[in-house]
Parts: sequence; C-alpha cells; structure tokens
Amino acid sequence: MSDFTTPSFLNRADAALADPILKIAVERTAGTAEAKRAIAIDAFPDFEAARTRAAAIKDHVIAHLGPYLEQFEASAIAAGAQVHWAQTADEACQIVMNICKAAGAKSVARSKSMLGEEIGLPHALEEAGIGRVETDLAEHIIQLADERPSHIIWPAMHKTREQVSALFKAKHRTPHEEETIAAMAQSARRELRAKMLGADVGISGANFLIADTGAVCTVTNEGNAELSLVPPRVHIVTAGIEKIVPSMPHAIPMLRMLARSATGAALTQYTTFYTGPRRSGDRDGPEEMHIVLVDNGRTKMREEGLADMLRCIRCGACMNHCVVFRQIGGHAYGGTYPGPMGAVLTPALDGLASNRDLAHACTLNGKCQEVCPVKIPLPTLLKGWREKSWREGLEPTSMRAGLGLWAWVATRPALYRLGTGLAIRAIRLLGRKGWIASLPLAGGWTRYRDLPKPAAQSFMTQYQREQRK
Amino acid sequence: MSARNAILARLKSPPPLAAEAAALLDTPERPAVDATNLESEFLARLALPSVNASHDVIASLTDLPAAIARYLHAENEPLTLCCPPDPRLAPCDWSAFTLHANAAPDETATLAIARLGIAETGSLIFETSPTAPMLPNFLTLHHIVLLPVAAIAAHLEDAPLPGPQPRAHYWITGVSGTTDIEGTYVRGAHGPRYLHVILLRGGILPVT
Repeated sequence: MSDFTTPSFLNRADAALADPILKIAVERTAGTAEAKRAIAIDAFPDFEAARTRAAAIKDHVIAHLGPYLEQFEASAIAAGAQVHWAQTADEACQIVMNICKAAGAKSVARSKSMLGEEIGLPHALEEAGIGRVETDLAEHIIQLADERPSHIIWPAMHKTREQVSALFKAKHRTPHEEETIAAMAQSARRELRAKMLGADVGISGANFLIADTGAVCTVTNEGNAELSLVPPRVHIVTAGIEKIVPSMPHAIPMLRMLARSATGAALTQYTTFYTGPRRSGDRDGPEEMHIVLVDNGRTKMREEGLADMLRCIRCGACMNHCVVFRQIGGHAYGGTYPGPMGAVLTPALDGLASNRDLAHACTLNGKCQEVCPVKIPLPTLLKGWREKSWREGLEPTSMRAGLGLWAWVATRPALYRLGTGLAIRAIRLLGRKGWIASLPLAGGWTRYRDLPKPAAQSFMTQYQREQRK
Repeated sequence: MSARNAILARLKSPPPLAAEAAALLDTPERPAVDATNLESEFLARLALPSVNASHDVIASLTDLPAAIARYLHAENEPLTLCCPPDPRLAPCDWSAFTLHANAAPDETATLAIARLGIAETGSLIFETSPTAPMLPNFLTLHHIVLLPVAAIAAHLEDAPLPGPQPRAHYWITGVSGTTDIEGTYVRGAHGPRYLHVILLRGGILPVT
C-alpha cells in the first residue's frame, strides 16, 4: 500500500531531512539496535556459517514452495484449522472481513503483522465498521497518532518519548503521571488489557508456517500475541506464502538468526506454535482458527528474478544499518516496508513507475547485505530495479539526456579530456579555501554541504606528465 | 480457477527430497552448552539481563507451597495463587493459600509446570492440555514455574514434540518486555513482569 498522499519520494525525503526531531528519534532506536546486534553476533559461534544455513533453508523452501504449501494446508486442516488462499491484497482482506462478519465480530485485537499492513487490513476493518485494537505497544502508539509504521520491528521509531507522553496523556483514560518510559508502558498496559480480553476475533501474522504439522509460529517480546489470540473465539492468521519452513526443527536456526538480527537477543521472550483450534477439554484457546495464505505478488517475484528477496525474515537489520534510512526514517519510503528491503519490495508490490526513486536512495555501500541474516543481495537487487527503470524509459528526460550526452563525450577521449579540463578550470574559480559552497546545477548537493575544490589538473593530465619524466 | 489453484499452478515443482531437507539441519551453529552441567548452564542464562528471571531450588514436590509462599512474601504479595488443574500437584499441601483455577484479568500470581528447560537460552517449554491452560501464564504479574532439574535439556532442538501437536506449544524466555519507546527496555509490557523458576531436584514428577 503506497502512500500517495504526498507527491514523491524526493519531497518526502526533503521533508524528513528538514525535521529536526525525526533524526533524533530514529538515531536513538536504530543506534541502540545496531550496538546490541553487534554484541549478539560477536557472542555467536560462526555466524557466517549460520547465515549460509539460513539462506539455504529458505532457498530450499522457495524452490519447492508449491509442494510445501500443499503439505502445510493438509496438516493445518487435519489439525482443525480452515485454510484460505488469496492472490491479491483485496482478496485477502475480503476473506478476513467475511470471517469477521460470519463471527459477528464487533472488535478485533491485532497482533503486529507487516503482512496485515501490506494488504491494508487496518483500513479494511475500519471500512467494515469493526473496532480495531492494536496490541503491540508501538502499533498502539501509531494507532492513537493515526499514523503508519515507520519500521518493521519498531513501528513507532519516529516518535520521541516526549511525543509518546503527550499522546498517552491526551488519549488514555488513566495516563501515567511519572515522566518515565516505564510509566508510559504501564499506561498502555492498563489501557489495552480489557480491550484484548473483550475482542471477538484475534488477528495475527506468522513468522513461520510449519509444513509438516500445520502450525503457525509467532514471536513477540511483549506477550501481546498470546493475549490477543488466546481469548477471542476466532483466530485469523494472514501470512505470506514465503513464510513456510519444512518442520519445527527448521524453524529453530531461523529463530536464532531472527532475534539476534532484530534486537540482539538470543531468542524472543515468547515463541508460540499454534496448531489448529481449541481441543476437547482445553480450558482456553479459540474455537475457530483460519489461515489466509497470501500471494500478493510473491509468485511473480519468484518468476521475475526476485526469488532471493523471498528469503527475507523481516528482522529489520538492513534498515538499522542503512545510512539513508538513518537520515530520513521509514515514512519517506512511502510503502509498507522501508529501508533497503522496502526499496526492493515496494516496486514489486506497488509498481516501479511510482517507486523508481527508491532504488536510487542507496549508496551501494553494501552494509545491508553484510548484516542480512539470510544473505539477500540487496544492492544487486536495487541495481536491478535501476536497470529496469532505465530500460522501461521511466527515468526522467533530464537524466536520460544528461547520461546520453556523457556517454557520447566519454567515447571520444580527446573531446572528453578537453571538456573536463575546461570544467575543472571553471569550477575552481568558484572555490574558496579548498571548498565550493555553491555550484550551479548542483544546488541539491551544495545546499546541505560544501563540495571539495577539484585539483588543478585531471588525473589523466598528471599521469601523462609523470609518464613523460 | 480458484485462488488456490492459480497460486499452486505458478509454483509447480518436483516434491522436495526428504534427505535434502534433513541435510539442512546437520550440525547446526549454536551457542556451546556444557552437557555435563546443564543445571548451572540453565541458571546462568536465566540470570541474564535479557531473561531477567529469579530462581529457587527445592528437594521434593511437597516443598513447593513453602517455596511459593517464600517468594510471594518477599514480593509483598498475598498467598493467592492461580493453580493449574494438574494432578501431579496433588501431593502439595496448599492450606496456607487461596487457590483458583481461572486467572483474573489482573491476576497477581500463577503457577505453571514446564515440560522442559533449555540451557542454551534459559527458555521454559510448555504445551496446552486440559490440565495446562495457557492464558493464566500471560495475564499474571508474577509467573512462577516449576521445573524438574532432570527436565533441563541442552538446546532448542530438544524442544519439539514428535507426532501429533498440542493446540499450542510455547517457549517462554524471560519476562514480558518492550523496547518500543526509543529502544529503551521496559519489563512487564503486557504479560508477566516477574518470572520465578523453582527447580525441583528430587522426586521427578510422574508423566501425565
């Protein structure tokens, strides 16, 4: 679901860069996450081999996705769950709304799910007039603020504690008095508990779908998934079809990678495998369990060179380590998924034409690929979008003309040397004390930073002089 | 064509080879655990700031009520306990306690019996059954867990159950926590704020 309310990525990025509070907020959480992950990885034996294994498990599943999905479906049905299939986001929402209507649901407790955001589930529930209780603390914050997630692990990363405090004081029935983060979390606990227990339906995503048992695995640190999914009469899972693993033992190496990469913990506090609805004699658990398997572009990604991206386990490490994300935060990306993985996914989910800028918001420093627990070659995939955008004529005329002119000159060495020689002399005239504060046609750069004054002679001129000696 | 058939038609492939899937699990990379000293390995993980649990040790099951009373007194809580309807607890004398089976929305203290403890992570492994409800373990402020020392295993790979699965199989690794506001860790987000493990050294519990 792209955000079309603001005109372009460049405008959103400009606005983000001009926001003095945003960078502080992003830095506080992403900086902590980066440091904690580094400690966890240092303490883990042979993390590199573990990454290779995790990537191999996902590659195996993606290569045999059809048979594994059929096995999962059969196992889940045998355990008493109902399995639904959706090709598109709209189909998936329609299925969920039909289940909610059949259940006579007035309120739904949601445990944070990026797939739910991707298919527009919050909006669909609102349209259907069904009350929605976001139970993850960060999702609760952004629901109160009427905003969208800005990070896949910390959806309220863009908010400072001061902003959260003001929000809770305005919206909670008995808000915190003490100005501490602990007191704010307690305020949310008081506010949400009764709502969770009173919900008619609990909706979650899935971190893993276990093919041989039909189980759905969720992980949280707050325990909000269990509190949202055990009390209601109906549990609905919406999951991307790539979430399959062959068995619970295959989920274990993935869980080791997920927690360490996301938060720097050895494991999440709560890891639960739900297999079907309540059994005879059980004292709690839902009477109905529905699992909606969602494609929404994933089969197309597999067919069109983006199979590597289907390995993604949504840990958020790539964005925590991205120099661009750290400057502009998540909202500027405009899609459901921000950062490097979002810049690869959003054009696939929402179309390249309106999202071609995302692939350019990358320095290709390779940090995202280096920290990815399943070794997704994110810079390569981003370059793939750049090339596709060029081939399909989506790059703006000025860019095409500029590059065309450069290519024409660059294939004529004498002309190229003459041109660069003249340009160096002209640009040097603008320099003061080794720096250029303002350069015509490059205002986008010099508005925020100075450009170093070029050397008096080009590399080639200097090289040829040295050769003649 | 149904959505199901349309999706599956695009995902046609030969069935996965069981040997290939099994090979992906050969000699996994994982934190080293001293298999000859599982109890101290487990307790070391329990005490980590990320797990944040306390513990006590009892010699026999009949010592359990006194151990729980000791803990609740220290925490200034009344001797009121949400207790699972588990027949293995029959030898215990609960006369000092007010017991109930269903958890209140703001339950103070709940007892549960873990099937396994995992030394690698300090995790406690549970399954739902008619004698083991799940919700009380999440509603409560103080989660008190009985774990036989003999039930401490080395790695997460020891946790899965073979055969038909229970409705829920869940791993608890520490107290409920959140870092959702500025990345700052706060304990007791939605679930338990305190986790207290009581290790049972003798008198292994009979299997239910």
